[in-house]
Amino acid sequence: MTILYSHPASERHVTPSGHPEQVARHRAVLDALDGLPLTRRDAPLADDADVLRCHPERYLTRLRAAVPAQGQVALDGDTWLSPGSLDAALRAVGAGCAAVDAVLAGEDRSAFVAMRPPGHHAERETPMGFCILGTAAIAAKRALDHHGLDRVAVLDFDVHHGNGTQDLLWAKKRAFFASTHQMPLYPGTGAASEQGAHGQILNLPLPPGSGGAEALAAWTTIAARLRDWAPGLVIVSAGFDAHAADPLASLNWDESDFAAITGLIVDAAGAAPVVSVLEGGYDLAALGRSVRAHITTLGGIAA
Amino acid sequence: MSDAEIDSMSFEDAMKELESVVGKLEHGDATLEQSIALYERGARLRAHCERRLRQAEERVEKIMLSASGEPAGTTPVEGL
Repeated sequence: MTILYSHPASERHVTPSGHPEQVARHRAVLDALDGLPLTRRDAPLADDADVLRCHPERYLTRLRAAVPAQGQVALDGDTWLSPGSLDAALRAVGAGCAAVDAVLAGEDRSAFVAMRPPGHHAERETPMGFCILGTAAIAAKRALDHHGLDRVAVLDFDVHHGNGTQDLLWAKKRAFFASTHQMPLYPGTGAASEQGAHGQILNLPLPPGSGGAEALAAWTTIAARLRDWAPGLVIVSAGFDAHAADPLASLNWDESDFAAITGLIVDAAGAAPVVSVLEGGYDLAALGRSVRAHITTLGGIAA
Repeated sequence: MSDAEIDSMSFEDAMKELESVVGKLEHGDATLEQSIALYERGARLRAHCERRLRQAEERVEKIMLSASGEPAGTTPVEGL
């Protein structure tokens, strides 16, 4: 079994018409997981204290002030706030933290946070790339600072580099962050030379047009580092935009590649539980199929 | 700008724009939504630059042939 966190608040984060990070993504993900034997839970609102593990109070205050009473406001060229956006982002963070608590309490071996907006581009005080709050990094810090784990790992297979997670965990000695991503592509960071303040960050950029073979080679390298790291918890930033059908990138992965990468992660995690958090993925049909492949592998569910 | 417009660009103009595209991608100046379109334009510009270089090489080879007057094959030119 796997615990699935979601909430209708995800569908009240409304981006402008034609925006790829759209409300329909949430429905596509839930529809794709329909019928699977998952423990379904509502995503709770995060406490401010959890947000403040990664973002300063003035950033949260600025966001609260920026939320419009109606319509939408742009925080940058990509990132929008509608009246329900901050609530949705706070429930994504709340679900990430609740998932950490649940798996560390032994309630399940794995959990998936099916919420939007995504989070891995959000830096300390900078919303960007459709992201407002650093959900995965906040969950990692909660595991370290609240639960007192010695080591955690955050693994990011979204096609875009998780610059926000990297920014938030750059100096965190006990957090291993690894990412594969297309390069060149947004946001431009994620060169192999970016290794964190303690050498605990591993960036493996992939060339445009590359497919499953290159991806699996990179993830075999990451899995070996993960085994050596032996964390008490693995957090996955699960973006599905490396799929060949995705409109926002040019890698050529398919559903079986997402399943294989998930298998490598679960295997290398060993006894550590896994919390996966939805990031990108903009072709609705490919997103649905890929999420299903990811979750059935994560939960050891017969497909 | 369309593919046809790229086809009519000089090598220098295409190279200049390609450098600007690469700079934008490397410095994160593009938005996430624009980024893929920018990358694809960069790929087309690169292909165009490579085509222009090949054409120039072919012209140089022809010139060398007619200068020697001997149809003894072509000599690729270094440094283009």
